[in-house]
Amino acid sequence: MAGGGGDLGGGKTQRRGKKGKRKSKKRLGFRLDMTPLVDITFLLLTFFMLTTSMITPQTMEMNVPPEMDVPIEVKQSELLTLRLREDGVIFYNMGLDAPEKIALKALRKVVIDQNVQLKNRCIVVLKASADAPYGLVVSILDELNMAEPEILSGLKAAGINERKRKFTVAPMEAKDIEEIKGL
Amino acid sequence: MSKIKKKRLGFVLDMTPLVDITFLLLTFFMFTAKFKSESENQQKVEIKRPKTQADTAKLADKDLVMVKVGVDSVLKDTAWYVSMINEQDITSLRQSMLEAKFPGADDKTVSFKVTDTVWLGKIVQSCRVVNPKASFAIDADKRLRYEWIEKAVNEMRKNRATTFNFVTEKRQGL
Repeated sequence: MAGGGGDLGGGKTQRRGKKGKRKSKKRLGFRLDMTPLVDITFLLLTFFMLTTSMITPQTMEMNVPPEMDVPIEVKQSELLTLRLREDGVIFYNMGLDAPEKIALKALRKVVIDQNVQLKNRCIVVLKASADAPYGLVVSILDELNMAEPEILSGLKAAGINERKRKFTVAPMEAKDIEEIKGL
Repeated sequence: MSKIKKKRLGFVLDMTPLVDITFLLLTFFMFTAKFKSESENQQKVEIKRPKTQADTAKLADKDLVMVKVGVDSVLKDTAWYVSMINEQDITSLRQSMLEAKFPGADDKTVSFKVTDTVWLGKIVQSCRVVNPKASFAIDADKRLRYEWIEKAVNEMRKNRATTFNFVTEKRQGL
């Protein structure tokens, strides 16, 4: 202030003067310490890697017939009934045959055989007891889904190229419960 | 042969590629990370999904009505938890549920806890009205009794939602 507002050039010289004898160097190789940046990056990377879950839920599509007053007649001989008892035992029968116990692992073969034998006309009905675990119901559905490719190839071998899947879930009735009770 | 061995004092390693890859990975994980939604936050139930092997489709991330069936970890009761995925659907559903005087619903509810089939039917109907395109997904614990799922399916069937999905988890390996 005392200098009386000298021009820009004047101010510059004064500053330079203050700093003394330092030589102004042209900086050629300029270095920035990247360590903190990389540190933080790694930290974030670890955080996101650990919090991301890669397993996305899958879905299994199901179709149920709409509510209708008119029951649809189907041939008993083309009907494959699967019943799941409350203790997790699976029974199967074709048409009016007596229900037979079957293991979950053996189910696939039966479904494939019946579908190929009946040449696409087989209708699979799953009746699950209200007290059966849901996980087992899904396992049965899974087995049925897994059977599909083999049914397709089986049908192809028999000269049928089209596959019409007929599958439904039905409620367990008192009659069904009675039928598989003592087995 | 005639090279003179020098003792390396200041040893420099080029970190640039490492940092490049790290940034790349960081960006990838940052973009793929999905954070918990509000409805998931409200929920106190843990669901163990049934495992399947068959090739199944991925769960849709919009136009979806989620019906979760699980056991409350505090109250130990089983209930259906109905929620919708689209934000505007939740708002409309909440509005219609408030109008219907759904017990326990307030202006922040995103997941409706239902314990009886009458309300389940009503809420399923409202979901159908709010978004007719929405598909239903049942996300239930594998240890539950099938009855709970059957009832939900019946309510959906009454409302002509005959196609729905069971949410499962892919079994690792075979």
